Amino acid sequence: MTAAGAGGPAPDAGPATKATPKGAAPGSMATNGAAPGSMATNGAAPSSMAANGAAPKSMAPFAAVLLGAALAAVPLFGPGPNTIRLLFVTLVWVTASVAWNLLGGFGGQVSFGFAVFYGLGAYAAAVALNAGWDPSSSCLLAAGVGVAASLAIGLPTFRLKGPYFAIATIGVSEAVRVVMTNVQATGGASGYRVMEHGPFHQLQHFYSALALAAAAVAVSMLVRRSRLGLALVAVREDEEGAADLGVNPLRTKLLAHAIAAALTGAAGGIHARYAAYVNPQGEFAFAISVAILLMPIIGGVGTIWGPVVGAAIYGLVHEEIIAAFPQLHLLIYGSLLILIVLFEPAGIVGLASRLFHAALRRRHRRVDAAAP
Amino acid sequence: MPPLLRVEGLTRTFAGLAALQGVSFELEAGGIFGLIGPNGAGKTTLLAILAGALRPTAGRIVFEERDVTGMPAFAAVRAGIVRTHQVPRPFRTLSVLDNVEVGIRFGRASRAAAAGPAAMGGGAGSGGSFGGARDAAGGAMQVLERVGLAHRARAAAGTLSVGDQKRLELARALAARPSLLLCDEVCSGLTAAEAESVLRLLREIRAAGTTILYVEHDLKAIMAVCDRVIVMDHGQKLAEGSPAAVQTNPAVIEAYIGASGKGAASSEGGAGAGDNGGAAAAAEPAGSTEA
Amino acid sequence: MSGADFLNLLIAALLLAGVYAAMSVGMTIIYGVMKIVNLAHAGVLMLGAYFVYELYERWRIDPLLGVVLAFPVFFLFGVGLHRALIRRLPPSDQPTLASLLLLFGLWLVLQNLGYLIWGNADRAILTPRTLSVLQLGPITVPTVRLVVFGGAVAALAALEVVLHRTWFGRAVRALMQNRDAGRLVGVDVESTARVAFGMGIAFAGAAGGMLAMLYSFSPDFGSPFLLRAFVIIVLGGLESFSGVAAGALILALLETFSIQVLPAGYQPAIAFSLLVVALAVLPQGVAGLLNRRRRLT
Repeated sequence: MTAAGAGGPAPDAGPATKATPKGAAPGSMATNGAAPGSMATNGAAPSSMAANGAAPKSMAPFAAVLLGAALAAVPLFGPGPNTIRLLFVTLVWVTASVAWNLLGGFGGQVSFGFAVFYGLGAYAAAVALNAGWDPSSSCLLAAGVGVAASLAIGLPTFRLKGPYFAIATIGVSEAVRVVMTNVQATGGASGYRVMEHGPFHQLQHFYSALALAAAAVAVSMLVRRSRLGLALVAVREDEEGAADLGVNPLRTKLLAHAIAAALTGAAGGIHARYAAYVNPQGEFAFAISVAILLMPIIGGVGTIWGPVVGAAIYGLVHEEIIAAFPQLHLLIYGSLLILIVLFEPAGIVGLASRLFHAALRRRHRRVDAAAP
Repeated sequence: MPPLLRVEGLTRTFAGLAALQGVSFELEAGGIFGLIGPNGAGKTTLLAILAGALRPTAGRIVFEERDVTGMPAFAAVRAGIVRTHQVPRPFRTLSVLDNVEVGIRFGRASRAAAAGPAAMGGGAGSGGSFGGARDAAGGAMQVLERVGLAHRARAAAGTLSVGDQKRLELARALAARPSLLLCDEVCSGLTAAEAESVLRLLREIRAAGTTILYVEHDLKAIMAVCDRVIVMDHGQKLAEGSPAAVQTNPAVIEAYIGASGKGAASSEGGAGAGDNGGAAAAAEPAGSTEA
Repeated sequence: MSGADFLNLLIAALLLAGVYAAMSVGMTIIYGVMKIVNLAHAGVLMLGAYFVYELYERWRIDPLLGVVLAFPVFFLFGVGLHRALIRRLPPSDQPTLASLLLLFGLWLVLQNLGYLIWGNADRAILTPRTLSVLQLGPITVPTVRLVVFGGAVAALAALEVVLHRTWFGRAVRALMQNRDAGRLVGVDVESTARVAFGMGIAFAGAAGGMLAMLYSFSPDFGSPFLLRAFVIIVLGGLESFSGVAAGALILALLETFSIQVLPAGYQPAIAFSLLVVALAVLPQGVAGLLNRRRRLT
């Protein structure tokens, strides 16, 4: 059975043709497959959700569209500019949170360095806007800069495992902040102003943030169903074991890192355009990295909706509390993080689904008791 | 016909101590080959090098006439060499089916499919690397049926019994469609009946065209299924030949009785009861220095 | 650079290294025994600073005495934290992400409690010692640095005695070398871990007090020192006390002498870059290097 051709791709032809009769009919598309989705529910909450996984699975894209439509319709009800601002900021957080979850949740690589992508994206967009680029191009540039940074950071640090990787990302993000504080071309520590011509349309900003957040959730759903999603979960569970089955761990992590960085960079860019001002202490702050990490973990790491829920809560609560007690919200989130690590690793979404199923079971029991 | 695998002077040292010393052998396609030796003989080190988990210090590995020396593990899998672990290591929170799907979608067949859909027997669709989600699930189910684990397809892999985890370990490796399957003590820790059925499975796998290199601490299981046996001791090849010839080889008897007592040579049936159950690849070299 | 300048810088680096070593050793104890990367270290450094500060402001207790008092107080604090939180973590011979995140959460809590209690204004401990200098020919040494260095060395010496002369110290060293073997020879892992965690926190609290004598501080005080402590213990091999001393010396020398070549603004980046390089150069994390060394011995 050894193919005659020496070297090159020829040896592959042998097993490939041999494989054909074993494989099922080729050609079905990934999107309509119900089975691959099961992996994700298992990834989030091993056994409890696996049994009831069918319903939420098919409803998720539907719910996403509904939520997006509802948000898109909000301006019709004439909310004040403050409400729109709150929603705008929250949607930016949602994007970053969902992005972090691609690498940290599906792939298990906890990064404390996402402020690098957020900040570089913000600066890239700011510079591009000042150079006269249109908003969508500058947003694309922000994403591209994020990808470049993710590769530059990922190549050396992904050789490290678990906590070592996490610590290295702290070092990287602090080093980048120090450097940006000293780069005079973008104003150094005093920051950089975005001069955009034309009137300010708050709703335009709102819709661009909504579109980006929707794109992030869609990407998250697609990744989870894709080959990349399977590879990420396998790497999270057992990196060497995944490699023993043909998964290239470094490539998998780099790819997820790049997608996440693109989304986070774009989020930074969109926020920079809205704020019309960027500065190192703001965009590259360790607090930004911390927020991007806390939101998905608190919401429910490794799920589609956990990061969205976490970001929504963070965004709304953060904006409300920060005015009165600037530090109280981090105190609350620190305590929440402790509780989640110790008692509910699946986060708020996990807790909710557990309560929901417990309630269902109680009702079933009541029905069962009533039946005979 | 050239051999499937040719190993030339394979050597691996850890901090100056040789865990493997100039080992050479050849495997022809289509057989079951045994690799035996006392604890710390270098079997697991050899397996780890063949599977790409360790780099050799010196030597060459030629597989299907292609130099695969020092290839990383995932590349070795795609070249057609897949291993199982002595202690099963499933992706615990994933379902059994999804575990197997990883092998299906990232193993050897997947790359061939991605390289050219035409190779899939002129299939109707341009599946490519993203097309195979449903195929993969179907294929995974077939593999699970082959190893008799289909009824547990939806269970989380971490909840399986030891015996079923061993089957899953085999199923995952098979899913990657190896032409050379490296089995590390697939019978240890199993009851005699379970071991018997795993050995039957190995014969079926061979019959379907996969060559097997079977590492076992326990002689009896090896003798039952192997066409040829390689005996190792102290990181070197001690002997090679048919099971019958090896069993009567004085050097082999000396090594077994001398190094690990009578226990290994005369232990019960297939149930080698894993007296070195926890030893992983990393532990082996340490052991070899003591031996 | 003149010879006197060089000598002055060298002495400054040595004095700094002593403080750095004292600051990092608590992290090493906890990592060595429990394989936990203590991110809350920063929060404890900050609490230690305010502890010494409050003692001095309220009762005029000398900061040096404050540092000594910090040891028992923070030891009890550490034991309490272990009881309440740390022991609930699943035990592991590898550092886990759960432990990292738990201690990160603890850091957030401590830091922001600090903000609630003390606000975000910078504080400093000002004693008559603060501004006095010692002049020895061409060499100028700030007195307070010398005093703090002495305190740090004394604390490290005391730790050395505890580790080598007591049953607890032997248990700690056994666990650091091999957890399973330690268990086999009858070390009570749980209680040793509890005391080790307490000691790690005690050192962090006391080191915070020492640092507060040298620098002004706010509730965010710990973070730059946390990263420095990482660099030091990573350079030193994570589980070795002499490694900590070496790592502290390397970082202190680099920071002190780089002033000559690097713009002041980039100064903080040294520790961070060194951290990434140190981690990336050792491919398996530091564990790989350790294993190699262990096999050699």
